[in-house]
Amino acid sequence: MNRPTELRFQDVTVCYGRTTAVDGVSLTVPAGQVVGLVGESGSGKSTLARAAVGLAPLAGGAITLGGAPVPTRGRNRPLQMVFQDPYSSLDPRMTIGESVAEAMPPGASRAERRAEVARLLELVHLDPTHARVLPGRLSGGQRQRVALARALAGRPAVVIADEITSALDVSIQGAVLNLVRELQRELGLSILFISHNLAVVRYVATHVAVMRGGRIVEEGPTDRVLADPGHDYTRELLAAVPGRNTP
Amino acid sequence: MRRWTRVLRTPLGLTATVLTLGVVMLAVLGPILWTDEANAVDTGNILAGPSADHWAGTDNLGRDILYRTLVATRLSVELALAATAIAVVVGLVLGTAAFLLGRRLGRLVSAVINIAVAFPGILLALFFAVVFGVGATGAVLAIGLAGAPAFGRLVQTLVAGVAARDYVSAARVAGVGRTRILLRHVLPNISEPLVVNATIGAGGALLSFAGLSFLGLGVQQPKYDWGRLLFDGIGSIYVNAAAALAPGAAVLVAGLAFNLFGESVAKALGVGVVAGIRVPDTRRPVAADDAPVGADLGDHDADVVLDVRDLEVTFPAPGGPLRAVRGISFTVGRGEAVGIVGESGSGKSLTALAVSRLVDEDGSVTASRLELLGKDLRGPDNATQRRMLGTSLAMVFQDPMTSFNPTKRVGRQLAEVGTTHLGMSRGQAMERAVERLDAVRIADAADRVHRYPHEFSGGMRQRAMIGMGLMGTPALIVADEPTTALDVTVQQQVLDLLAAIRAADDVALVLISHDVTVVGEVCDRVLVMYAGRIVEELPATELATGARHPYTRALVAAVPDMATDLDAPLATIPGRPVDPADVPPGCAYAARCPLADARCRTDDPPLVATTSGRVACWHAGEPLPDPVLRADSARFETLVETS
Repeated sequence: MNRPTELRFQDVTVCYGRTTAVDGVSLTVPAGQVVGLVGESGSGKSTLARAAVGLAPLAGGAITLGGAPVPTRGRNRPLQMVFQDPYSSLDPRMTIGESVAEAMPPGASRAERRAEVARLLELVHLDPTHARVLPGRLSGGQRQRVALARALAGRPAVVIADEITSALDVSIQGAVLNLVRELQRELGLSILFISHNLAVVRYVATHVAVMRGGRIVEEGPTDRVLADPGHDYTRELLAAVPGRNTP
Repeated sequence: MRRWTRVLRTPLGLTATVLTLGVVMLAVLGPILWTDEANAVDTGNILAGPSADHWAGTDNLGRDILYRTLVATRLSVELALAATAIAVVVGLVLGTAAFLLGRRLGRLVSAVINIAVAFPGILLALFFAVVFGVGATGAVLAIGLAGAPAFGRLVQTLVAGVAARDYVSAARVAGVGRTRILLRHVLPNISEPLVVNATIGAGGALLSFAGLSFLGLGVQQPKYDWGRLLFDGIGSIYVNAAAALAPGAAVLVAGLAFNLFGESVAKALGVGVVAGIRVPDTRRPVAADDAPVGADLGDHDADVVLDVRDLEVTFPAPGGPLRAVRGISFTVGRGEAVGIVGESGSGKSLTALAVSRLVDEDGSVTASRLELLGKDLRGPDNATQRRMLGTSLAMVFQDPMTSFNPTKRVGRQLAEVGTTHLGMSRGQAMERAVERLDAVRIADAADRVHRYPHEFSGGMRQRAMIGMGLMGTPALIVADEPTTALDVTVQQQVLDLLAAIRAADDVALVLISHDVTVVGEVCDRVLVMYAGRIVEELPATELATGARHPYTRALVAAVPDMATDLDAPLATIPGRPVDPADVPPGCAYAARCPLADARCRTDDPPLVATTSGRVACWHAGEPLPDPVLRADSARFETLVETS
């Protein structure tokens, strides 16, 4: 496993045609910390994530990992991403084991790969015998665990989790969140945790950044931001958390 | 593989398969069996009509035309397949180039394909035929290359579709090269439509060959294919019509065989993954044995808007009927908000669809009572009933993007309700639409009615959908996960809107959601569904503290809120929901329940009244073991076999 590393966005701008999706964002995910990124759809938070892993081109600024640019070529990928929809993020024609093994650094023997797949599946609390099944046989929550295992297969130092629980039933969401916290502690990962649900972010992140219209409008330690929001939009988000009135 | 065998289950598919196999067999065996007969010159019998010796007559050298037609099958099919192969290979190269070369060069290739597609195929073929010279080789290249742009376009579109999927992004993030992604992820996932289209293409190529040979640009003497025979036969059509008809019929049959085979494969593959034999349409909700159909049951309570008793929704499945909703009863009072919660597959959405008569046509809905405002909903689907449903029931769906017709202006779609159900003129209906959009707090409604759905944001679309439901004077709004696809801030606006409408017009609301907190915030009463049954009914205020069923308590505990203990892991529900095809005896929740004992696994608990609601559990209200429902109690999730 790579050593915990800091992920830093410096004045990052991403444009789609004439639309500026991310507008001069600076944000740091400190080594071994979880930073929550909240905002509504269209605020640019997913675009920021895609830019970090090289899926969206930068129009300006820089994204660095431990001081060096994020490698977007070759097999060494210390920055990994978990996607929102576990139904579209696994190739329906590849077994779980193949999907996880694909993300491993090359060079290992077949037996080593198999052992590593089993270890990773156990890490995300899935029965290693699942390696031989196709994703169609798994539930949404199980698929999302596979997606986590695949991200970890690349031996990342930093993981970006993009709305990884919003496509799941609430009954499964809890299990995935527990897993994220556990993996973060055991592996000392740095995580950028993107979500529109403040209650979820509060549970996993120590720092939180609030994004709106491609800019970061507020940032700080989670307990401070949630207890004493400094921006109107953060207050609006807080007011909208369902069940806030029910004990 | 099972999906491919489905091709054989339809009469058309079976016929097409038999025909195609026949043509292929003939292509293999024809020249082996009948070459001598086909080449036998009978100078005493030149240009003869059909006779007992020569069923289709003879040509200008006295050769038997029927045998020649049969023998020509091989060359005709070979040429068609060769041309198709060229079209497929060139098409694949062109179509995948855009994916492999990256953005700029890809655009150039796309432009080339677009221009090539715009050329008429037969013109291209003629052009290539001239370039490559007259003869079989030239014709193969001409027809192959002429077919390539269309195939390339198809490949390009399919590749673009798969390339946008997250698993391709995930592979790219993992550092997998483009070629490897193409071979491992993209091509396998588009192979089925490609194979199907190649088959149909082969049929087309066969016809094109006949055309080219007929024009004298194809196969040259002494070789012969069907087109050549047709060309020769047409000259003597007034002497012996069969000389032209026999090869013509062969072209027709073979072309049809390939096309139909391709079509039926496409159809069989496109049906989706749930295999099943369709049963006759039983969409009409039918009465259970003891109740008269369509009759007013008499004992209608004026304050009850919706009265559901023993509602069952079943779907035909290979292993016997699948009971998705298993006999549920509930009522909704005037102006009351009732929430239905449960995991995916619990039957909550089907309950809503059954009430609004929108269950898919292969599903069967039965109930001993299903009444909206005292009117029986189980009667035949006629104009009166549609009007009643159209005006007194409003339905709001999860995805506001797909619930509007994207090609019609929003105002017109709202006005339609007024003109079809309320007898309004178009002008009146439009006025009402503006007023209703205003009522659902859409700013500048008079201008917004002239906009298309895509010009609305997600939250605005959802509000417009509610506005459409309010075109009549609904007594009941059924909202199926109305906020799941929306952001939290927008979600709040939509929930507030529903609450306001309810308060203003005394409209009842059935709110379906997987999120207990959302339901708890909006509703008066909550129904908790599990495996097609109601397992608990309770006042919303008691959700957090007064729930008695272990499932309800687990659902409540599983959702983090702003007061969740950050040091403890979140409560989870181990295992996975029950497969409706395989509901165990006893309590359906027993396998995941920390309180379950032997009795729970054998006897299904009845839904009994409590002080404030109903509950179906042998251990209702008993304290849960600590730590509650930890994920670690089941270190590995077990894989449930799905048949």
